[in-house]
Amino acid sequence: MSESSGKGFDVINAEKAPRDLFTPGSGARPNRFRILVGIDGSDESYRGLRYAAKLGGGVDADIVLCYVRPIDQGLRSGGLQVRVARENMLEWGLELPGIKYLRQGLKLLQELGVMDDSWQEESFHQGVEGDPLGDNKTVYSSPTGKQVTLKLKVAPDIATGILEQWEIGEYDLIIIGASERWRKRRVKSFWDPALAEKIAVHAPCSVLVARELEVGHGHLICTDGSDKAEDAVRIDAELASRCNCPVTLLSVAHDDDGEPDAVAAVARASTMVESQGIEVHETLVRIGEPVKEICETGVDYSLIVLSDTARTGLKRFFMGSVAFKVLEEARNSVMIVR
Amino acid sequence: MTKPPPSILEITRLARLRKVRGVQRALALRRALNLVYFWDKKFFFVAMLVGFAMLQLPVPAGLSQEGLVVLTMSVVATILFVTEPVPLPTVALLIVVGQVLLLGLQSTDVAKSLMTDSVLFIMGSLMLAVAVVKQKLDKRIAWLIVRITGTRTFRICFGVSVVSGLLASFIGEHTVAAMMLPVGITLITLTSQDPRKVRNLAAVVLFSISYGCSIAGIGTPSGGARNAIMVGYWKEFFYDPSDPETYKFIIDYARWMLFAYPMFLVQIPFVTIILFMTFRPEYRDLSRAVVRLRQQIEKEGPMKRGDWVAIALFVLILSGWIGVSGDIGMGTVAIMGAAAFLVAGLVKWEDVNSGVNWGVVLLYAAAISLGVQMKSTGAAAWVAESFLALLTPIGAGDGLGLWGAVSVLTTGVTNMMSNGAAVAVLGPIVLNLADAAGESPIVVGFITAVSSAFAYLTVVGTPACTIVYASGYLKTTDFLTVGWKMVIMSTVMMLLFAALYWPLIGV
Repeated sequence: MSESSGKGFDVINAEKAPRDLFTPGSGARPNRFRILVGIDGSDESYRGLRYAAKLGGGVDADIVLCYVRPIDQGLRSGGLQVRVARENMLEWGLELPGIKYLRQGLKLLQELGVMDDSWQEESFHQGVEGDPLGDNKTVYSSPTGKQVTLKLKVAPDIATGILEQWEIGEYDLIIIGASERWRKRRVKSFWDPALAEKIAVHAPCSVLVARELEVGHGHLICTDGSDKAEDAVRIDAELASRCNCPVTLLSVAHDDDGEPDAVAAVARASTMVESQGIEVHETLVRIGEPVKEICETGVDYSLIVLSDTARTGLKRFFMGSVAFKVLEEARNSVMIVR
Repeated sequence: MTKPPPSILEITRLARLRKVRGVQRALALRRALNLVYFWDKKFFFVAMLVGFAMLQLPVPAGLSQEGLVVLTMSVVATILFVTEPVPLPTVALLIVVGQVLLLGLQSTDVAKSLMTDSVLFIMGSLMLAVAVVKQKLDKRIAWLIVRITGTRTFRICFGVSVVSGLLASFIGEHTVAAMMLPVGITLITLTSQDPRKVRNLAAVVLFSISYGCSIAGIGTPSGGARNAIMVGYWKEFFYDPSDPETYKFIIDYARWMLFAYPMFLVQIPFVTIILFMTFRPEYRDLSRAVVRLRQQIEKEGPMKRGDWVAIALFVLILSGWIGVSGDIGMGTVAIMGAAAFLVAGLVKWEDVNSGVNWGVVLLYAAAISLGVQMKSTGAAAWVAESFLALLTPIGAGDGLGLWGAVSVLTTGVTNMMSNGAAVAVLGPIVLNLADAAGESPIVVGFITAVSSAFAYLTVVGTPACTIVYASGYLKTTDFLTVGWKMVIMSTVMMLLFAALYWPLIGV
């Protein structure tokens, strides 16, 4: 259990204070790339963390590990609040599962060499109404100002918790796990695809949904030639180059007539990426149904990268978006760039 | 290009800014959010539509208009219980509102029907549960177990099941699960710090606690709220003070134990055997953990006076339930016990207040009130007769067939919602079913109350499972792997008892 450092923290102070404490010029802080990794103790979430560490090493990012615990629901436990059991566990000196998972994540980061002994540790506690344990976080910071944060959050459900975390933290990338074995069934696992989708829909930043995420097979970046897609290409090419992942560009045409457009889109993206000084490993043009083609091509890569759809409002509601369909159907990891 | 490419941070920031300012984007997000609200609450609207449609139907033959309204409310409540689009106590509030607005009952009458001895008993038992957990006797109990069983894993697990069960049968399964959970986890973590190395051991130890508690919940009326609800229904539906013949429908604490306690005792060994057949623990001997547990407990020192007072109070409450609950009501004894713990200063009201979920009391009060309406408007009898007409052709119209059908129905429903709610909803129907089929309502009532404890399959099925799952050591699939074996074992055992044992003690 992390120590409490006084009760008087309100939301703003609890979140902002550590940043100012550890950076010489507090103005420098917001420019740091921040990654939020959802941890639930599953292998997927740790694979996501491993990826974050690699990415974080490249772009010198802050990493926040977040475990969301649902608010206790006494009805399920027959009228006795689950917290009575939890308090009893704490009195025995036992760790609650969330803390255990976060510690495991921390150990992983230490093994990967992201952190060493020179890092300082500081704990914060913040009360949450209706829950005795509240939010807890521990911030580890290096002498150079890089931070790793462990956060145990209490929220009505996991998606809300992760999104609330974005509201107070402003992250550039959220990584969440969605394991393959839960996909087709309606069993409500902890990180079910519905959750990943919910976060992907609402998060205002890029979201990476990790499935069987393996580092080293490169990024497959999809473009349809729109401005938005090209922004995404630029952003991810930069990310990929920082962690030495080969970049492959893909555009899909619906039919033969669309092929020249697709070829042009890929060529444009390719010049753009090369002008950033990043090597393009391969460019691909496929013809067919975009979702199907992207998913099939994507199997060989670590990550499929798409831009958030250009469609908005009603159009999106009725026609759906390629990005979210890929997110649903792909077998491997998908990143939606915003 | 003359300009150097913008850095990644500039691009992300620009992209983000553009998004926040885009009116279209904001509109789209708002629309999406609204849809999410309706999507999250979809079953609430479905339930309301179903209710509205049912009220428009012509009244079926044999059912009164009031009966149709009550039946509609039950169906809507059941949909809401199972799908939970709104917090469950909301359903209780809606039931109360519905009774006044749709049935045209007086508000005061509805309010009166909410509080019965059963509800008082549920409330008192919950307060007692918190008081008992707060006494911190769990370490002593743990030490007692390992002192008797030795260090073999199998024997320790059996001991844990027996002790959890014996305690849970009197003070409720949730109480014991909350008390024993740290014991189980301590044994596991003292064996190995790495959860991967003790996965099966963790499953065996933790399921010994939760299933030990679950099978014990049937043993006495205080084992679970559902039992108290059934006791309340028997009295409400069949007891007539002017007719001595109906006195047998008052099932007091001791009589319930006579029926159900042996069934719990017989099941205990099977729990451990089934668990060891399903999960093969990595460690056959836990001597390392036991030695360290002993060191922890020795720090506690000898039993204090408060501990003895708590035990004495508990024995008093128990004898009150067995001895005088027939005269003054089980609920009265329960709240007397809670009051005694508070007077003795053994528990703080703040702890009781925050440890009990009062919504449960409200929920059961409303559910029982609705159940009584089901009976008095004839809706329950109508459903029971229609159901019986379905069962008779397949040979489940009476005897063992009917018992089996009732048991399967209850087990199905209880795995989908809280078991107290399942008994509250099904009780009136199955009791009328028994009446119509010429079976003893007591036997069928027992079968319903007992089968409602067979929610071994899901995390949310029984309170003990929920609490043990909160430890984080178990997966939801573990409950399925071992749960179905438990369901079969328990069902077979119960039907054997219904056919062979209950006739002996005279039903």
